[in-house]
Order: sequence, then structure tokens, then C-alpha cells
Amino acid sequence: MMDSGCDREQLRDFAFDELAAPARAEMERHLAGCAACAAELAELQLTTAALRVLPDREIPQRIAFVSDKVFQPSPVVRFFSSFWNSGAQLAFASSCLIAVAIVFSAYRRPAEIQSQPHSVVNAALTRDELSREMYARINKAVSDAVARVHEEDARVTKAALESADRKAEQQRRELMVAWGEQMNTLQKRLGVLTEYAMAGPERNPVSGQ
Amino acid sequence: MIFRAVEDADLIVRARRGDVEAFNLLVSRWEKRVFNYLLRLTGSPDDSLDLSQDVFLKAYQNIRKLDDPARFGPWLFRIAHNEACSDFRKRRPEPHEDAAALADREAAPGIALDLSLAVSTALDRLTAEQREAVVLKVYQGFKFEEMAEILGAPVSTVKSRLYTALDLLKEELAPANKRGTK
Repeated sequence: MMDSGCDREQLRDFAFDELAAPARAEMERHLAGCAACAAELAELQLTTAALRVLPDREIPQRIAFVSDKVFQPSPVVRFFSSFWNSGAQLAFASSCLIAVAIVFSAYRRPAEIQSQPHSVVNAALTRDELSREMYARINKAVSDAVARVHEEDARVTKAALESADRKAEQQRRELMVAWGEQMNTLQKRLGVLTEYAMAGPERNPVSGQ
Repeated sequence: MIFRAVEDADLIVRARRGDVEAFNLLVSRWEKRVFNYLLRLTGSPDDSLDLSQDVFLKAYQNIRKLDDPARFGPWLFRIAHNEACSDFRKRRPEPHEDAAALADREAAPGIALDLSLAVSTALDRLTAEQREAVVLKVYQGFKFEEMAEILGAPVSTVKSRLYTALDLLKEELAPANKRGTK
């Protein structure tokens, strides 16, 4: 019978090699002087030895898996799968994202508050300059358009005048030609009448009628 | 032992990358232990083989979730424990063989038949939780912390189950021990 001061659980932990080195050394010292605990330990070891008479059996059929590329996840899928299944990697990725967000927001931060009036003045100045520039461009565009219209009018007028001059000249020439022909005809008739007048009354066609 | 643990860790890393052959090597190292663990829980070689295949398939599918490759053993047996529990819930285990046939099948050469028979009978009289604690400690050699991880129970509960079972086994086996060691 074990003494009431003996720790039975510790004795069993000792039997299964579950004690730390100091506790184990203490238990060994206790066992050297406690016959009841030594007997209890012997019984426990006998029981476990009896249990071990049942040997392990061989597995009747070996287990093996076949590598089939069709069912294998792609390297990308495996990477993301392992990535998302890893808490440490996920935490690292989150930290990286936060760091990037901080850096990005630092570069994208708006100007300081003190510089805002200056920015407003600059904006006003810029607006006036833009207005002036805009008006100047409009005026120039209008002037150019007016000049182009005047040029076009002048060109059309000149062409019309030239055309009219050409027509007038042609008519004058045609009149001159016609007048010249009539003059020739009259001179010929005058010559015939003169000949008849000089030839006598018998040859006068007028008196001969 | 340390060298073996490093090798297993290396195989696990390769298996995580999709190296099936590395996982097969890992299976070859652990299949006998897993099979015998399940055999002592179910009592059926066929069921144990089926469950073992399921265990290793789930291990392969989830090996990327294993945080510490050094804890592969307890992690694998946790899967085996869950598979066995799931199987128990689906169908209550039947008494596959009578005790004599079981002892005849499992008796080691040179060991008295009545001791093997007594051990098998005594184990069958334990509750499923007590028997599993004995199997994990005596036959598989896990530490209490590893057993707690496998069973999903506190260390104190695991120890209580084991020591209660050993008290019962001691009483059951005392006469057989005397005969078997004659």
C-alpha cells in the first residue's frame, strides 16, 4: 500500500517519462527509499509490457497517390493558396499595403493651410490673365476673318471688273469690224454710182427705167 | 530521431509545393502507425484501411494548413481521430470477431496465447475514450501534450482517461500476467 505522502500521479508520469529532469531525479531518490512506490511502478511497467504483446500489424495494402497534372493546382493557385493560408504572410502583406498607403497619402497630401490664400491669389491672377489672353485671341481671330472677307471681296470684284472689261473690249472690236464692213460697202456703192454718173444718162440705171 | 524529423519537415515542404512523390514517401513512413491506431479503435482491418486512405487524402488536401511541420505526427493523428469519430457516428462498431479469433490473429510468436487473449479482451472492455488514450500512449508513444492536441482535450483529462484505463487493465491482466510470465 502506498504511503499517503506519495504522489501517485507523479509516479505514473515518471513511468511514462513525462517528468522534467529535476522532478525525475527527485522521484528516483524517492523510489530508492519507498518500497510501495517501487512496487506500484513495477506493476505499471508489467501492465504496459503486457499490453505491448499485441504487435503492430502490417497494412494490407500500401497507400499511394498518383500525380495527375489535371488535378494538380497550377503554381499560381498553389502560391495564392499557400499565401492566404499563411497568417504570417497575410500579416506581412497587410503591413506592406498599409505602408504603401501611408507613403502614397504623404505624397498626395494637399498643400499646407497657410499657403492657401497665396494659392487663391494666384488662381485669381491666373484667371485674369486667361481672360485677357482669351479676348486677345478672339479679337485676332475676328480681325483675321474680316481681313479674309475683304480680300475675298476684292478678289471677286477685281475678277468681275476684268471680265466686264474683256466683254466691253470684245463688243467694241465687233462693232469696229461691223462698222468697217459697212463703210466698205458704202464706199463700193459710192464708187459704182460715181462711175454711172460719169458714163452718161444711157448707162444711168435710174434714168433707163 | 531529430534527423528523421528534419527529413519529414523537408518532405512536408516539398508536398506543399505539390510534390506528390514527397507526400507518398511521407505516407510510407506513417501509414503503418495510422493503420494500427485505427485498427485498435475500430477492430476492423477493412474499415481501418479505408479510414487510413481517407486520412492521408485529407492530410494531402490540407497540408498547407499545417503551421509547424515538426508537429506533423500529432496533426496527422488528429485527422485520424476525427475520421474515426466520424465513422463511429455514422455506424456503431460491430463486434467483428470473437476474442479468441482476435487473439489468434494478433498473438505474437512465442507469447502465451492466453496473455494475448486477455489483453485483447481487457482492451475491449475499456470505453472508447480510455482505449484511445491507451493506444496513443502505450502503442503510439505520444506525449501527453500531443495526445491532448490529437484528442482535443486538456492534458489533465487525457491523463485521467489513461490512468483510469491502466487501473482497470492492471486488474484485468494481473492473473494473465502471472501465467504469461511463468
